Amino acid sequence: MEKDRLQSIANLAKLRFEESQLEGMLSDFNKIMAYVDKVKELDTKSVTEEEIYEWSENRVRPDILGQSMTRDEISKIAPKFENGYIVVPRVIET
Amino acid sequence: MIHKKYSEIKSLLNEKKITSFELCSLYLKRIEENDSKIKAFLYLNKEKILQEAANSDSRRQVGKQLSEFDGIPIGIKDNICIKGERVSCGSKILENFISPYDATAITKLREKGFIFFPGLNMDEFAMGSSTENSAYQITKNPFDTTRIPGGSSGGSAAAVASSMLPIALGSDTGGSIRQPAALCGIFGLKPTYGRVSRYGLVAYASSLDQIGPFSNDPEGIADVLSVLSGADLNDSTASQEKPFAVTDLLNSDVSKLKIGIMANEGNEWSQDVKDNFHKIIDVLRSKGAQIIELDFSIHSYSIPIYYIIATAECSSNLSRFDGIRYGYRIEDPKKLEDVYVESRSKGFGDEVKRRILLGTFSLSSGYYDAYYGQAQKARVLIKRSYAEYFKQVDFILQPTSPTTAFKVGEKTKDPVQMYKADILTTSVNLAGLPAISIPAGVDKSGLPIGLQITANKFEEAKLLSFVKELSSLDECKINLPETIQ
Repeated sequence: MEKDRLQSIANLAKLRFEESQLEGMLSDFNKIMAYVDKVKELDTKSVTEEEIYEWSENRVRPDILGQSMTRDEISKIAPKFENGYIVVPRVIET
Repeated sequence: MIHKKYSEIKSLLNEKKITSFELCSLYLKRIEENDSKIKAFLYLNKEKILQEAANSDSRRQVGKQLSEFDGIPIGIKDNICIKGERVSCGSKILENFISPYDATAITKLREKGFIFFPGLNMDEFAMGSSTENSAYQITKNPFDTTRIPGGSSGGSAAAVASSMLPIALGSDTGGSIRQPAALCGIFGLKPTYGRVSRYGLVAYASSLDQIGPFSNDPEGIADVLSVLSGADLNDSTASQEKPFAVTDLLNSDVSKLKIGIMANEGNEWSQDVKDNFHKIIDVLRSKGAQIIELDFSIHSYSIPIYYIIATAECSSNLSRFDGIRYGYRIEDPKKLEDVYVESRSKGFGDEVKRRILLGTFSLSSGYYDAYYGQAQKARVLIKRSYAEYFKQVDFILQPTSPTTAFKVGEKTKDPVQMYKADILTTSVNLAGLPAISIPAGVDKSGLPIGLQITANKFEEAKLLSFVKELSSLDECKINLPETIQ
């Protein structure tokens, strides 16, 4: 893994690293990749897609009207909240 | 009093020989005197705890106790939501987050009258094996405070092992209950995937996470599991199986049991761990149990498989921390992108970032099939191996951890070495099985050794029946430290 590639992964993950941090992250990342790369050795041809998901069953709960979080509760956990709305920075440049 | 086992404390409470207020006061005193050395608690609301205890006593006085558990104190890991309490997950990104709701596990315990001691320290978002990844403090091992308690539920394990609480909740994604239980000399159970609702457990890797109990005796494990288990409308993965009940426990006849052990033991096991393990196997053999060697070679892939799957799920789960709706947001962001990127970059610690990066990579276009897709298939091979084992044996016995507790700072520089601490535990999560770590003697330095017992899916009753027998062996006895050095 090269630095540029790690940088683009970081962009996808909405993370930013200082140049100095990136070196350390890259070295750790490569060490971890060298270790997890071992999975490629395994012969998994016998495994079907169905087998991967055999445990999952689709279960839905009854469609009954209930109480969700109130605006007041949301106001207490939101980083910035005014007049009943969560506030974010201006999105459209003027 | 506080050094008594959970089951004795429960009896004394029900016989009205002690009140919940007295009991909680004693534990709070123990915490005040010792937690500066252990650092298990991130916060403690003394008044609230004592108020809840007093309420419980009033109920009991008029014969209106909610259950036989009314008034029993229980510690809660900092990633399980309790309405009105701070839930930080050991992370700066949730530093000021007050949960607006109860996790299902908490609702169930509340209905029975348990008294919550929340805020038990953990590796950030449960990512770690030593509790050194907490953004706030490093929890220490009560047997030797220069060593780690294991992780990620290190706060829960250390609190029980240092007699600051009789029982606690943790969560286990790759060993995060069993490994700290082992290193701290107590009992810790990871239930079958789906046995306990995950609603209100802050998600790390949803296909692997399970809530489970720690206790200083097997009765505490069975009692708490009986309260927690069962289906839940708020978690579609919570199983419809008949919930576990304490009355399902039977006498376990060791002479009729078939015990599986690894034919190929890893060279990671320390000599003391190895010797101790074989001593216990020999005792079981002498009692008539049939010991069967199983081919575990496929399990050498379990950590790589685990890290690909867990980090892929974490990169997806942790995308919700965007600085918009809750959690940390940077001061004065100039544009919306800054809210996301800067809040996450400042709010998450290094290990969390490492895992998000790894997960994002293995899910990214061009690499998905080679990593995530391949790991999903490899996970099936692990599941198949267990299905084969359980055709031959009742239980699988292994050490929980290849070594006893390591020194603080010993493995922080090398993430791969840290990941290998879970070499014997991650397979169980990949296969969704129940497994418990029980105390199994000490090494030459007096540090606890843990024994892991794995059972087939939803066989907790059979597992805990066996544990009751096994834990009464002299070879499994450990004295928890009364004085914390």
